[in-house]
Amino acid sequence: MQLVLSWPVRLLIIGILVFSLFVDGAGYIYRVANHYPLTGNVPGLPPNFGSWQLYIHRGLDLAGGTHIDYQLANFPPGQSRADVQQRTIQVINKRVNSLGVSEPQIRGAGNNNDRITVDLAGVTAQQAQKTIGAISKLVYTKWVADSKVTNGPEPGYKPAFVGLTGDDIQSASAAIDQSGVSWVVNISFTSRGAGVFDNLTRDNVAACPGTGTDCPQRHLTIWLDLTQQDIDNWETATYVSQVSAPYDTGCLAAQTPNTVCGKFLTDPTTLQEISGGQAQISGNFTQGSATDLATGINAGSLPVDLQVLDVTQVGSTLGAESVKLSLAAGLLGLSIVVLFMIIYYRVPGLLASIALLFYAAAVLAIFKVVPVTLTLAGITGFILSVGMAVDANVLIFERFKEEVRAGRTIPAAVDAAVRRAWPAIRDSNTSTLITCVILGFVGPPAVQGFAITLGIGVVASLISAIIVTHNLLAIVMTGSALRRPWLMGVDRSVGAV
Amino acid sequence: MSELSDVAPAEQAADVIVPPERPTETPVELPRPAPRVRRLNIIGRRNLFFAVSLIIIIPGILSMATKGFLLGIDFAGGTEFTITFANQPSVASVENAVAADPLTAGGTVIQTGGNGGYIIRSLPLTPQQQQIVEDHLVGRLGPMVGGAPQQVIEVGGTIARETIEFALLALVLASAAILFLLAIRFRNVPGGWRAGFQFGGSALAALLHDVFLLTGLFSIMGKVLGWRIGEIDSLFVTAVLTVVGFSVHDTIVVFDRIRENLRVSQRLSFEQVVNLSIMQTAARSIITSFTVVLVLTAILIAGGTTLKGFALALLIGIVSGTYSSIFNASPLLVVWRRVQPLR
Repeated sequence: MQLVLSWPVRLLIIGILVFSLFVDGAGYIYRVANHYPLTGNVPGLPPNFGSWQLYIHRGLDLAGGTHIDYQLANFPPGQSRADVQQRTIQVINKRVNSLGVSEPQIRGAGNNNDRITVDLAGVTAQQAQKTIGAISKLVYTKWVADSKVTNGPEPGYKPAFVGLTGDDIQSASAAIDQSGVSWVVNISFTSRGAGVFDNLTRDNVAACPGTGTDCPQRHLTIWLDLTQQDIDNWETATYVSQVSAPYDTGCLAAQTPNTVCGKFLTDPTTLQEISGGQAQISGNFTQGSATDLATGINAGSLPVDLQVLDVTQVGSTLGAESVKLSLAAGLLGLSIVVLFMIIYYRVPGLLASIALLFYAAAVLAIFKVVPVTLTLAGITGFILSVGMAVDANVLIFERFKEEVRAGRTIPAAVDAAVRRAWPAIRDSNTSTLITCVILGFVGPPAVQGFAITLGIGVVASLISAIIVTHNLLAIVMTGSALRRPWLMGVDRSVGAV
Repeated sequence: MSELSDVAPAEQAADVIVPPERPTETPVELPRPAPRVRRLNIIGRRNLFFAVSLIIIIPGILSMATKGFLLGIDFAGGTEFTITFANQPSVASVENAVAADPLTAGGTVIQTGGNGGYIIRSLPLTPQQQQIVEDHLVGRLGPMVGGAPQQVIEVGGTIARETIEFALLALVLASAAILFLLAIRFRNVPGGWRAGFQFGGSALAALLHDVFLLTGLFSIMGKVLGWRIGEIDSLFVTAVLTVVGFSVHDTIVVFDRIRENLRVSQRLSFEQVVNLSIMQTAARSIITSFTVVLVLTAILIAGGTTLKGFALALLIGIVSGTYSSIFNASPLLVVWRRVQPLR
């Protein structure tokens, strides 16, 4: 065990400790100084490295919110399932953004790219399902003259439906044009859509002939959910300016009869007749705005059907209650263990308790850095790993007593105890780690959270029990005043039953 | 490694408790006082301990086979509302309100505490139907605290089936992995790989003992006694898997001591080595379990309703794990050695 007692190892431990205290402490000082809440994300939280902020990420069962598993059905034929899943995730993301959720989690799942899991903090299941599952209908309009219209995209004109809708669009995607410089949005129509679009573009060009001319008759505008009722109101200036605002799927999903939501997507002019069913919208797009528009066009029609597999909605009060209870349970457990260790093992027990605090600080720091999303099951895993950390110490200390009784000096007994307890500690923790890895890979999500925290805890507990406790003991051994048998807890025979 | 051969032949077949002894700072080997010997022959009474385990496990297995489990919402599927009503209505009035609504008719009502807290379960509902049910309940029973249910869970049959499959798969994989890990780690005792598998197999048997005891008791509590705490859900699965980890922990500690004593105490018979090893590690097993039991009892008494069943499962499992590692795993190893001698 010379390696364990060497100075490089000690420096490493001190380094980990300093880093942990920094990660754990800096954030709280900042929170208190700025009167921010003590948990969750707050603006400018140090220590932050760019967008990488360090704080405990709470799972939905602690933070409150909604979790939904969707099954994707009716995949469009001839397209890669992974792409379709990715596109669906983008659409859901877009829709969810309007809810103002912090850190929405939308992940693909399923062996066959046929699942999507959505975690939204602070949103009820109804809001979430309405917004995500909303069926927005994409419509095309042309423009007809109406002198009473004063504003909107084309003053002096009001829109009219042309019989082309989202059903006629196969897909839209952002891409770089042939010249390789500017971003465009490519739209491909179905065969019916291609025919309708061909006629429309031919009529448009005929209505306002010439090359490079731009007049309202040449415009084909795309809207989401635009209704005839909206068009009938087109002469009301305030109404038009509201409807012509950029579309807002969140608003559209939660719409009540009295709200007017933005429904406008894009208003491109027709340059020439387009007959192949492949249209391209160009303009001053950036990659971001092109992707946004493509997603918007796709949002009119989710590429697949979403079927709800399960929904969990946790109220924020229940979450807060769970946090309080599990914190209390954790603190209570830790205090009981510390008290017991000190009374029963005295100086070694005290040192082990110090190691235990080191362990707790390090694990919390790891949770923040990785970051691990903490759930109720995850906290349980953490509390249990405390038990395992103590177990390694108990093994060493019981062995230590035996070695002293066998006639060894106290320093020699410490070395022998650590050396001989090691195989049992190694093997038992290996078995726990193996279990954690298996649970982490095949377990249901709740169990995965448990496996991750327990696994991290077991590794940290090994370091704390073997290296930290041993080093502390070795340091204490150099002070002869503390080498008394009573202080080392070996004056009475309390070992075996 | 000859330091440990201080087990005198006279002390064989006994566990050794050495009386208080002044440790000396000098490494001189002093003449040691004659150890006091207490006969705690666990191996000799192994049949008694096997019988105790079977008496608990067999009714549990029968209950599991005939009655199954009280299933939590994530296994059973359906919709579950957790609601606290401000007016604190009685159980009967909540049951009436639930039965009166065609959407929830046939559903179950569980009281979660004295302050108007209820869990209401029904068949799977769409969001619109959930809203109708909530409005209906508020109409009959008065407002909900916080204006909304504390929790709404909806689980379809697919997910419920997958959760069960995942849990079983994880248990099987973990058991197999533990068997092989022990076989590898213990193959260097006299007897080689076959001995390794004897150690692994005995640990596995103790592990399955704990799993069956725990699941059996929960089946009895949930279905025979009709207690709600006997309900099994994802957290229960987590508890079972934790117990597996702890049980193997305990067993490995004893087995590790057997491995060590087999090397240094060549004069003792296998049974004597096992008995000695159990005695030497009993203090550690009991102390560790004791601290965990303290923590779990605290959670069981003070913790929230969601955690109580979980804490109880862990409590039962950890006590069982300690029992099985002392009284079942090692005696089983001895029996196995007799049937299939290795040295």
